[in-house]
Amino acid sequence: MTPKCAPCISATAPMLEVNDLHAGYGQMPVLRGVNLAIKKGTVLALMGRNGMGKTTLCNACNGLLATTAGSVRVDGEDVTGIPAFKIARRGVATVPQGRDVFEDFTVDENLGLGGPVPGAVYDWLPTLSFLRNRIAGTLSGGEQQMVAIGRALARKPKVLLLDEPSEGLQPSVIHEMSAVLRRVVDDIGLTILLVEQNLKLVQSLAGSVAFLADGVIAEQVPAKVLAAALNDIDGPVHRHLSI
Amino acid sequence: MARCIGTLVFDRRTALLEVLPIFLDALSFVLILMLVASGLVIVFGMMGIINLAHGELFLLGAYTVVVAQGFGAPFWLAAALAPLVVGMVGLAIEILLVRFVVHRPLDTILATWGLSIAIKQIVVLAFGPGSHSVVVPIDGAITVGAFTYPAYRIVLMIVATAVIAGAGYVLVHTRMGLLARAVIARPDTSASLGINTGRVTQVSFAVGAALAGLSGALVAPLISVDPQMGLGFLVPAFLAILVGGAGSMSGLVAGGGLVGSMDSLLSGWVSPVLAQITVFVLAILVIRLRPGGLFPSRGRGHE
Repeated sequence: MTPKCAPCISATAPMLEVNDLHAGYGQMPVLRGVNLAIKKGTVLALMGRNGMGKTTLCNACNGLLATTAGSVRVDGEDVTGIPAFKIARRGVATVPQGRDVFEDFTVDENLGLGGPVPGAVYDWLPTLSFLRNRIAGTLSGGEQQMVAIGRALARKPKVLLLDEPSEGLQPSVIHEMSAVLRRVVDDIGLTILLVEQNLKLVQSLAGSVAFLADGVIAEQVPAKVLAAALNDIDGPVHRHLSI
Repeated sequence: MARCIGTLVFDRRTALLEVLPIFLDALSFVLILMLVASGLVIVFGMMGIINLAHGELFLLGAYTVVVAQGFGAPFWLAAALAPLVVGMVGLAIEILLVRFVVHRPLDTILATWGLSIAIKQIVVLAFGPGSHSVVVPIDGAITVGAFTYPAYRIVLMIVATAVIAGAGYVLVHTRMGLLARAVIARPDTSASLGINTGRVTQVSFAVGAALAGLSGALVAPLISVDPQMGLGFLVPAFLAILVGGAGSMSGLVAGGGLVGSMDSLLSGWVSPVLAQITVFVLAILVIRLRPGGLFPSRGRGHE
């Protein structure tokens, strides 16, 4: 099957563009030529079986993992090979898998690590207003996820890389998180690469879905076809996720 | 009856006059140990770098005072110079050596062990193998009634307390400290938040080295300054960190207090050998029963 690449779909210049990206760990290649493009103010979900390289792609985009070939462009600027902190300063924020909040810090300290916290963060995540002086390690998983999202949004990013944000969360929290992210996308035109296994969250948030298999984007489809695809045994969901 | 009460009062006063200096000596040793270990709290406890050259940074602080006094500088100017000089040396060590081996603990141990030998030999070449003395900046003693105690030791205790409290304040209550703790605990997450982790690591290592240099300078008037002086403080400082818990100032206070007071009091009352044995047994017991120390940190620590 020929991978469908997003640039063919996009009408305008993409905010995040990944071209023929190769990356891996030591001698083991994981990404073998990934092509992706996400327009400003849209959400692309990245799905695939475990070990296909979804987190690797996030880390290659945010500079935490060195790439071996290809390029990553943010808002038209080539950021390939530059240090992670410089990529973050160019507008790429990450909510890592497992949240990685600083457990010993207060919520306010977590949010302010990247710089001053815009008031909009508390508007989007009003729960955090009541938790500002709480030690992050004492919060529930859902609250910690909100801290991680707030911490990323506090950097006023252009692109948000969300790695498995629903992991370990109850459905009501996932629903709340989806509403928050939808509002941020609408408010500031945030561009999101959403690595996710939760189909409901993907359907509620993403405009399109890319399936990563064997280190390449095997297929990209509109998110609205996912519901129908669930019943189609030959459809992309069954093909790429073995559901 | 009156005579009995008088004898009792006299005996208590005599006992107090005998015991008080021992306790003050123990307290000053505890504070010196905490001062030396404060640099290790950052470098070893929080950053997880097993820097076996930390004792030599302490040594360089003392030799900075020797050199500065040789040029006629007053002690306090020399002591202020020491953390700057040793901090720069620490920065160079981080840039030229530590950053290349920091993710490989065994290589770090070997590299910093080699560095410690190199520093000692350079000191021997420059100053000779013999000992040097530093002029005590505050001569005389403080006298309260029949009780007298060396004035410099009192001043040292006050300065050490201020430095330890200051270091704790900076780490906990300032943005610089917050960034240092963040980078040390989760370097990747910090980098993805736009924090220049390399720069923060360099500064943290340099501050740890500067604290070692400052402690060497402040202790120099009380001991003979020679190329082997670092080891004598490095080992109890590491033990204090391990016992107290790596990576926190509360761990430093607990570990330094326990190790330092046991070492000092048992050395005075029983024997230095028994004191050493007791301290090592204590360290082994704590590591066995509470691997994170008495006040374990949730940061990266020395995992």
